[in-house]
Amino acid sequence: MHEQSLIKSLLQQVEAIRQQHGANFVKTVRVEVGPLSGVEPLLLASCFKQFSPRDGNFPTELVVSEVPLLARCNECSVEFEVQNYTFRCPTCGAGVQVTSGEGIYLIDVELSDTD
Amino acid sequence: MAITTLTVRRDVMGESKADAASERERLARRGTLVVNLLSSPGAGKTTLLEATARCLAGRSTMAVLVGDLETDRDAQRLSPLVPTVQLTTGGACHLELALVKRGLQALGDPQVEFLFIENVGNLVCPASHDLAEHLRVVLVSTTEGDDKPGKYPKMFRTSHTLVVTKLDLLPYVPFSVSSVIEDARRIQPELDFLELCAHTGAGVDAWCNYLIQERSKRLAEYL
Repeated sequence: MHEQSLIKSLLQQVEAIRQQHGANFVKTVRVEVGPLSGVEPLLLASCFKQFSPRDGNFPTELVVSEVPLLARCNECSVEFEVQNYTFRCPTCGAGVQVTSGEGIYLIDVELSDTD
Repeated sequence: MAITTLTVRRDVMGESKADAASERERLARRGTLVVNLLSSPGAGKTTLLEATARCLAGRSTMAVLVGDLETDRDAQRLSPLVPTVQLTTGGACHLELALVKRGLQALGDPQVEFLFIENVGNLVCPASHDLAEHLRVVLVSTTEGDDKPGKYPKMFRTSHTLVVTKLDLLPYVPFSVSSVIEDARRIQPELDFLELCAHTGAGVDAWCNYLIQERSKRLAEYL
C-alpha cells in the first residue's frame, strides 16, 4: 500500500501550486499512470479521498488517466506498445527504452475562486 | 478567475528521485557501494548477508541496514558479524530514503566499501522506491517457484541482478533455473544472473567477487 506516501506527496505539491497561484479552491487534479507505475488506479483514488485536507480548499476530484506501456528500440528506433512485459524490439530484437507507462505524473490542476 | 486549468506535467516522485540521486553520488564519491537487496519474505536475504559478511571479512568493509515491519531479529543475527542497524517500518510495506538516511546516521555514517540495505520482504512496493542504491539485487528462492518474474514485472524490470537462492533444495522442488532466467531477461534483458546456496556456501565466493567487480565498475562512473 505505498499509494499512501505517493498521495501525501501529490497533495503537498498541489497545495503549493494552489497557494502560488492565489486560488481559493482546487477542483480537479489529473494524474497519468501506466502499467509500470506500480500503483493501482482505484486505490490511488480512494487514498486521495482519504488524505485530502478537509479545510474547504480541497473539494477536489482526482482523475486518473491510464496510458499504455510504450518503448523505443535502441537500435532501429521503432516505437511500439510493450506486450506481455517483453522488453525487446519486435522488429530487430534489440534492447529498448521505455517512453511511456512508468512513473506517476501530475498532468494538470483545475483551480477556482469559487466553490 | 472562474476556473483555470494549469498544465503542470511533473513527475510526482521527481523530488525524491533527485534526493536519492544526490545521496547516491555522495556515497559513491567516498567509496561506498549501496546494494539494495529485495525479495519475497523468506527467500534468504539475511542468510545471504551472513554468508557475505563471513566471505568478505578481511577483504572488504561493510555495514547493513535491515528493514522489517517489526522486531530486531535480523539485526541480532547480523550484529555479531558486521555493524547493523534495524529499521522497523511499523507496518509499512517498503523502506523509503528518509528511513535509510536515519539508519545511516545511527550507524555513524561509516566509510565502508559496501552498504547493504535488506529491504522489507515484498516483491511489489519496494520496486517503486529508490533508496540511493547503486546496485539493485532481487533474490528468488527455489522453494517459492519459478513463476515470480512474470508476476512481479516491475521488480525484475528495475533490478540489475537476479540471484537464485537455496540451490541445495533444487532436487526436491519443481523449479527450473533456466525458465526463471528466461522469464526475467524477457522483462530486463540486461539482468546479471547468479545462483548460490548461502547455507552450504556454494556460489558465495562468486557472489562476493561479483560484488567487488560491480563496486569498481559502478563507482568509476562517479570519478
